[in-house]
Amino acid sequence: MELLVVNILNFVFATATLALVVLGLAIIFGMLGVMNMAHGEFVMLGAYGALVVQNAGLHFLFAIPFVLLLCIIVGWFIEWSIIRHLYRRPFDTLLATWGLAILLRKGIEAIFGRDYKSIDQTLPGTVQLMGVDYPAYRLVLIGLIALFFLSIFLWYRKSNTGARIKAMVTNPALASAVGIDTRHLARLTFIFGVCTAGLAGVALAPMVRIDPFMGLDYLLSSFFVLVVGGLGSLEGLLTGASVIAGTDVTVSALISKTGGYIAVLTLSILFLWLRPNGLFSSR
Amino acid sequence: MAYFRAASIPFAVVIGLLFVPFIWDTFVAYQLGLYLLYGMVAQGIALCWGRTGFLPLGQALFFGIGAYVSGAALTQFGDNWLLLIPAFLVAVALPALLACGVGLLVFNRQVGSGPFFSLITLALSILGFQLANSWSTVTGGFNGMTGIPGLPGIDSYEHLYYVILAALLFGSLLLLYLQRAPFGQLLSAIAGNEDRLQFFGFHTGLLKAMAFGVSAGLAGLAGAIYAPHQGIVTPQAVGFLLSAEFVIWTAVGGRNSLMGPVMGAVLIGFLASGLRDTFQYWEVVVALVFIVVVLRFPGGLAQLAERIVPSRHRRTAIQARQRTHTIAGTKTQPETNLKFDHVGLKIGPVTILDNLALDITSKGIHCIIGPNGAGKTSTFNVLSGKLPITSGQISWAGQRLSGMRVDQVAQLGISRKLQVPSVFAALSIDQNIDIALWAGRLRRRDYFSMQPFAWQTELLGDLETRFDFLHNGHAPAGVLSLGQRQMLDFSMTYLGEASLILLDEPCAGLSSAETVEMIEAIAQINQLTGACAIIIEHDMQVVERLSDHVLVMHQGTLLASGTMANIRNNAAVQAVYGGGTK
Amino acid sequence: MNRRSFIKNALCTAVLSTGAAGLFTGTALGADPIKVGILIPQSGPGGLFGPSCQNAAQLAVDEINAQGGILGRPIAPIFADVGGPPSDATQAALKLWKGQKVEAFIGMHDSAVRGALTNLFKGQVPYIYTAVYEGNECSAGTYVIGETPPQQLKPVIPWIASKKGASKWYLIGNDYNWPRDTNVAAKDYITQSGGSVVGEEYLPFTADNFDSNLARIKSSGADAVLITLVGGASVGFNRAFASFGLSDSVVRLGTLIEENTLAGIGAENSKNLFSASGYFANIDTPDARKFAADYSSRYGADAAALNSLGESCYEGVLFLQALAQNAGSLAIADIEKASEGTRYSGPRGTATMQNRHVSTNIYLAQARGTDFEVVETFTNVDPGSTCN
Repeated sequence: MELLVVNILNFVFATATLALVVLGLAIIFGMLGVMNMAHGEFVMLGAYGALVVQNAGLHFLFAIPFVLLLCIIVGWFIEWSIIRHLYRRPFDTLLATWGLAILLRKGIEAIFGRDYKSIDQTLPGTVQLMGVDYPAYRLVLIGLIALFFLSIFLWYRKSNTGARIKAMVTNPALASAVGIDTRHLARLTFIFGVCTAGLAGVALAPMVRIDPFMGLDYLLSSFFVLVVGGLGSLEGLLTGASVIAGTDVTVSALISKTGGYIAVLTLSILFLWLRPNGLFSSR
Repeated sequence: MAYFRAASIPFAVVIGLLFVPFIWDTFVAYQLGLYLLYGMVAQGIALCWGRTGFLPLGQALFFGIGAYVSGAALTQFGDNWLLLIPAFLVAVALPALLACGVGLLVFNRQVGSGPFFSLITLALSILGFQLANSWSTVTGGFNGMTGIPGLPGIDSYEHLYYVILAALLFGSLLLLYLQRAPFGQLLSAIAGNEDRLQFFGFHTGLLKAMAFGVSAGLAGLAGAIYAPHQGIVTPQAVGFLLSAEFVIWTAVGGRNSLMGPVMGAVLIGFLASGLRDTFQYWEVVVALVFIVVVLRFPGGLAQLAERIVPSRHRRTAIQARQRTHTIAGTKTQPETNLKFDHVGLKIGPVTILDNLALDITSKGIHCIIGPNGAGKTSTFNVLSGKLPITSGQISWAGQRLSGMRVDQVAQLGISRKLQVPSVFAALSIDQNIDIALWAGRLRRRDYFSMQPFAWQTELLGDLETRFDFLHNGHAPAGVLSLGQRQMLDFSMTYLGEASLILLDEPCAGLSSAETVEMIEAIAQINQLTGACAIIIEHDMQVVERLSDHVLVMHQGTLLASGTMANIRNNAAVQAVYGGGTK
Repeated sequence: MNRRSFIKNALCTAVLSTGAAGLFTGTALGADPIKVGILIPQSGPGGLFGPSCQNAAQLAVDEINAQGGILGRPIAPIFADVGGPPSDATQAALKLWKGQKVEAFIGMHDSAVRGALTNLFKGQVPYIYTAVYEGNECSAGTYVIGETPPQQLKPVIPWIASKKGASKWYLIGNDYNWPRDTNVAAKDYITQSGGSVVGEEYLPFTADNFDSNLARIKSSGADAVLITLVGGASVGFNRAFASFGLSDSVVRLGTLIEENTLAGIGAENSKNLFSASGYFANIDTPDARKFAADYSSRYGADAAALNSLGESCYEGVLFLQALAQNAGSLAIADIEKASEGTRYSGPRGTATMQNRHVSTNIYLAQARGTDFEVVETFTNVDPGSTCN
């Protein structure tokens, strides 16, 4: 029973963090058609941002504005220098962002070195929940992520930014003809995606290892989520995250971690093959 | 012959490479050998990516399988060539068949060359890495399959290099031949417009799977030599990072070129090997080169080289075709009997075709008219297999069409011209005509024979006299005017001499003079081939001149059919149309 | 000189001088230095250990050269990156061996690369392997000074069992040879110490979520966990382990948790964490203290932190000196004959070669924050080598 509760909490936590990590990738891929292989490196940027804040002796929460600022600058520069030349060349963006990922890894390595860094836990300890001890920070994070998604969902529905982005995606020529500055909008979308990745990095930083190669972990699992959830809707994204997390948690708990990993890979291949547009595709 | 002239390039490269051990030393040659093996894999990627338009991202999987098979064989069989040779064949055939199978499964479900296929191959390569790592009893796990002996009688440091050169030459000549054969031309056509090629009855999924299989076989061959070259095979040889590097080398070298990818692998290989011990950030240099190439030189180094030295074989390619081999004209025509039996088509909540029922049982020209959104083009789509119907049945000459792929429908002798003229813009007029002539005629062995390039038919001669610009065969189809493209597309639709021809607004975008020419062409050519033609047309003048059998569609159903006079007097039609000509 | 060999020489010189310009940083005392190839990871996941390894090796070289070198000849170290796949490592080693005529190799890298190198060298050149590994390397010309599972576990498991009361062990490692081979050895020692194995698990390299493993460890009732995860996976696992509060009640023992990994785990997550190794940065012996002092005075406080893998490169150079002096030459035939019983002393203590491995001191350390504190020293532990 206790094991079941822990596994359920683990599943919820894994779904929430996966969804948070994938959000940026989904936005950039779904809205702009850019397969961003450097997505994991933006998560890494967020984690290192938290490290800078910790080294400066500031409270962990200061990492949020700091990383946002950092991501805006970096996102803007990358969009300006590389991405904007490659819209509608999906293979080329994939390759260019792969090169970019190498550059970001090496850049971080040049500044911080290759060794592991550690962020102190601001909310250490565990909380009793349904008869099990569960880390307090995780519970808080689950709540915060849920809140974050809810607000994005409401904002996207209400503001006409959503409508403008939709217009841009469905018909860029027409969108610019009716006065939507598509180039500006694309840039903002990209920066927004980078910022959510950075924030995910901050949120995860106290729990995970931090080194220049950490980004690769997030890239692969993010792609799996996108594959299952499909593009274009928050519901799909959350479903994708829960399917991937659920498969991993279940198979890992029943068989082994390697089994879980192979199950996730196989599931992704099947989705790519049979339902390339995700669970909610009409076909 | 042009093939031999083009083959001079790989020959020259390999002959040049023969001197490497003498100019430098055997170590440089040994090092170069590895990069050449990598280059062979990159050549295969270029076949898929530059030529055919889909990007395999997990090519190391096939390289690694070849390497493990060859490594296991060398360890087990030692110096018994009788056992080794079949094992090497397996090392090539196994990856090739696996790739072919994966390709067929994926491409048959998904038309086009989107990123999904790429991601599947990537995931397969990651899966392969995991299996190679965990399955220690066979692969040796992370530590790898070690102590693999060299090829019997061939020293790995001194002489294996020449085996690699032979393999490189073999691979290059094979690729060159495949690219020049009808198979290669069809691959180019896939990159240009896969949909159109399917309407010519070509099973593009199979063609792509075969191209993928060839590239995987080549990767397997390189891997098979890699095992004795390195003496060890580890899971990295299957993994994601090597796969990514293969793509980088291909991109930097030139995805559209035969020898460019080899150049890319060698250049980056030596660059990395020279820098990695002295410059900690050597990967930055490689990454920067890579990004600049992707952004500024999509054709890679080969494109740069071509800009500096204009290629010789490009000039030879622009000779017009010598069509000397006349092949049979009209084939035996099946009975003309097209039947739509209460056909329904729904996409989401929208009903496109609503219990559509129609019968066409006579040769000659039939016109479908109807307001926008009546379901005319959708009728063609379901008929040609482009969209699956949700209810009812369609049959042609007694054969049920439901569930057939586009190319299978086309193979029954149904040829379709799309509304927007869609020719293969990157190919020459001659090459466009080739493909149309091959439609329904190319037998299996013809794919790899040069003879089909010389094919000639009576109908083609007739079309060439009619449309003068067709004589200018070496011009790229992309430079033709809209009218000429319509005429080329029209000619191509008829060249396969299908028994049922579907023309979707053949006169759209034509000037009035061109329209007259086109109407005349349709009438006479259709008469000549004795086909049954169905034409979607808005222009009532065109309809009136071409045909006396008109079908009027409205809201997904057949509103009326009959002679022009009947239709004019039909009250229902008048109500919908509000009368009058265009 | 005929024309072809002239071109060949000219090109060779050009290639080598551009390619190797930066390599000869060592102090060349005499006319005929001994070129020693030092193969360390500078890229890839192991690249973390490159800088400390290079520093340590260079320090040993300078000390030996200051005392007159090996057999009267100064050492000229040539460092090469073997952090990539084995095919890259082979290329790097070949370039040194055939291209620059290196006379001996010292390597600190993973076992896959070692497999490729022994295959390449085929016993024709002395090759000293310094990294901790799974054991049973017996190739001719190869000398192993790194820790083996018997060394790290045979004395340590009974100690943990008696001092910490551990009897129910959970074994967790990455899914490859080293952890699997280590655990085969571990199971024997656990049974002998009266304990039992309550779980055994191997994780893919890509694992970044350890929740299901932690849940299983918890429900298994384990009171000790033997960790053979490497690098980042070890950091991630240990952080998650502590966040679930398991560190209060369950002892953790790792055989590859060195200073870098501990820094990544973080002070608040290192409670009840033990590590067994041939070296820790703060071993309290005169030799080790002197080495640490020399290292920090030479490279400064900001230099790459000392750790067992980095330090092993120092030991490797010392061992090469001892081998050469024992054999009286660097010729592989002489060294092969003389290697057995070769003794040397370094920061780890005194080590003696037996069956291509060394019997050496093993330290058991407990983490205090992000530092290790040696709690027990086992002297002259047998490597359990099966080579003859």
